[in-house]
Amino acid sequence: MGDRARRLRSARTEPAAEAGELMQRVARGDEAAFSQLYDLLVGPVFGLVRRIVRDPAQSEEVVQEVMVELWRSAAKYSPERGSATTWAMTLAHRRAVDRVRSAQAAADRDDMVGRRDANRPFDEVSEQVTARLEQEQVRRCLSTLTDLQRESVLLAYYGGRTYREVGELLNTPLGTIKTRLRDGLIRLRDCLGVA
Amino acid sequence: MTSADIHALTGAYALDAVSGVERMDFERHLAECDSCTQEVRELRETAARLGLAAAAPPPPMLKSRVMAEIHNVRQQSPETTVVPLRRRSLAQRLTLVAAAVFFVATAGLGVIVVRQNSQLDDATAQATRMEQILSAGDAQLLTMQNRDGGTMRVAVSRSQDKMLLLSDDLASPPEGKTYQVWAVDAGGQRSMGLMKPSNGDVSLAVGGFSGANTVAVTVEPDGGSQKPTLEEKVMSADIPVS
Repeated sequence: MGDRARRLRSARTEPAAEAGELMQRVARGDEAAFSQLYDLLVGPVFGLVRRIVRDPAQSEEVVQEVMVELWRSAAKYSPERGSATTWAMTLAHRRAVDRVRSAQAAADRDDMVGRRDANRPFDEVSEQVTARLEQEQVRRCLSTLTDLQRESVLLAYYGGRTYREVGELLNTPLGTIKTRLRDGLIRLRDCLGVA
Repeated sequence: MTSADIHALTGAYALDAVSGVERMDFERHLAECDSCTQEVRELRETAARLGLAAAAPPPPMLKSRVMAEIHNVRQQSPETTVVPLRRRSLAQRLTLVAAAVFFVATAGLGVIVVRQNSQLDDATAQATRMEQILSAGDAQLLTMQNRDGGTMRVAVSRSQDKMLLLSDDLASPPEGKTYQVWAVDAGGQRSMGLMKPSNGDVSLAVGGFSGANTVAVTVEPDGGSQKPTLEEKVMSADIPVS
């Protein structure tokens, strides 16, 4: 727990500078720097992927893919386009979502699953997420959103849903969902002080 | 879709909640909308905070697997930014033609020893085709960086409705896969053909893309696909209006 708390704290307070500096060394093929970058990012990457993918074995595969991709494409990272931590989390989210959507597409093709999974009640997702959120600031800022904003953002981000699926799950017109997602994130951004 | 509509997608896009053609459309919009790009950057940063909040201890054995794997993975080169050329003078256009012909000629010379005459003729024919396309008043020379390595040059003319894709350093697709070229417009995408590099060399002349605003290349199974595999999109470029 001590380890984990340290990692969480370090990921939260000094990711931008530290991860960015490591990323530049990784781009030059520095495996020791990659080892440090791994330690810094693997907790958040694993936690996020696991939350979206759920299946433990598949989650591990995706995390491994993400970490190797960070190594492979480190030279493409450019600090002007955002922090290295954000870059890593964006990649992790994209890969996790790709994994669940291709699995969903395969299941739909086999005509086995259909909408079963999509019918999962949204409060299950949102409550689990809210209960397990480990950072007080994020939890506090999420509470400043309207219910619809919060549910939409959480379903899309942690649930890996497209905004069309979010619209179906919440029985809300797509135009409204688009706006809620944007307004919700903007409110979060301002509350978290993301520049 | 109006610009206000498409702008409202910044939030959904930052959450990876936009898929398919809509995602391609939005990415095209992003390329020309600085304020959207800035907003997406900030909203992604915000979303990443939700990700950090979900941190959990990873399986301990994972690190040794990752460290072992990176040992066998070659790293990519830094990206170079390429700006499409617009509204050029005749002199500039002629320089472009010369550059393009030179490019094609050197691509040919690089393998001159092993090439058959017919293939040399092909290289000459490509140079001629590219010259024809570039001599059109609305010609553009675009460059796409392949995600998996290599640079693809695209000579395109809307008035002639012709496009020539050329590369001399395109990474080979994985075993059993091919590159597939797509013309993308608001209604969807249509296949413009398949291409496989040989020692990095490849060229593909296509026509009939009128109305499309993006050319995109994906990696697909041999024989091509009916629809592009979006996560395997390896490069794309906007086709300028004129």
